Amino acid sequence: MSEDKPHASGSVEPGDTSTRVGMEVLRERGLDPEELREKLIDAIGAEFTTYYYYTNLRMHLAGHEDYKEITEDARLEDRAHFELVAPRVYELGGHLPNDIRDFADRASCPDAEVPVPSDDEGGRLRVEDLTAEQVLEVLLEAERCAIRTWSEVCDMTRDVDPRTYDMAQRILQEEIEHEAWFVELLSMERDGEINPAGHFVRGEPGDAPYSTNRRFNDSA
Amino acid sequence: MITYEVELAVPETVDADLAGESRTIEVDEDEYVLAAARAADVWLPADCQQGWCTTCAAELLEGEVDHSAAKRYYDVDRRADLVLLCVAKPRSDLRVLTHQQEAMLDHRAANSLPPGRSKR
Ligand code: FES
Ligand SMILES: [Fe+2]
Ligand SMILES: [Fe+2]
Repeated sequence: MSEDKPHASGSVEPGDTSTRVGMEVLRERGLDPEELREKLIDAIGAEFTTYYYYTNLRMHLAGHEDYKEITEDARLEDRAHFELVAPRVYELGGHLPNDIRDFADRASCPDAEVPVPSDDEGGRLRVEDLTAEQVLEVLLEAERCAIRTWSEVCDMTRDVDPRTYDMAQRILQEEIEHEAWFVELLSMERDGEINPAGHFVRGEPGDAPYSTNRRFNDSA
Repeated sequence: MITYEVELAVPETVDADLAGESRTIEVDEDEYVLAAARAADVWLPADCQQGWCTTCAAELLEGEVDHSAAKRYYDVDRRADLVLLCVAKPRSDLRVLTHQQEAMLDHRAANSLPPGRSKR
């Protein structure tokens, strides 16, 4: 990608705030900043929806307090992933969709719903037959989607956009850990099989050791 | 196990090694076309690989596929011969035009369906 530079960027006039050198340097190197930005909105849409869906999935792991704790780490880290990359969308001249429904619609990963038929009448979930195994499987597949998404972003930005690449690779590190956690838990829960994730616990819930953005303040 | 021949036609206009060319690969009946293509060194676009995001969309020029694993696929897609290669299992020999995400997004938008309606 960096060998061919099909778009001339021209120069950005002194004081011109209608263009950004931060975008033009990407264009000069053959990466379309608008295309990247749209991809990032889709990707953080998925982080945001999984943050929501994991909240609900976690509610349905009663009696499996260890699973709940791991799910909590994965849940909070998805919020961290959303917050790490959201500023990048603005730097690339974009914005979050004004309507959250649009944001969810375009998320690059599927809705991670509680895998039960819902009762449309009262909006109640029919959870009588729900098992931890089913919940863990949804969690695992969500992590797998995230791994693919951030690998794509790494591919798009490698050698061309160090800032986005750095974010994507940090997130990818945690998504790969998340997959390993859920592989371990599902293996035992479903198959009685020991399949170690090989990781130590987070210092604090949802530590996001690679991907935490600077917080607005300590209470966030 | 039945194996089918799948011809992947890559449009001239895309930024890909095979632009303007075709490759024919073998795909087992229980294999997804996208995974088989990548395994055969034909790099096609994809993201979720769960039949949701539409990155892998293609136009089905000939043949029949099983889409039952897709997380988000509509009857109107089928009628427009648009397929998601990441979850498409061949049910006959196939000919597909790859790199059709833009067409898929336009089509979804025209039908007021996600994700096209939020991206157009
Ligand atoms: S890669 Fe997402 S729908 Fe196929
Ligand atoms: Fe994430
Ligand atoms: Fe994750």
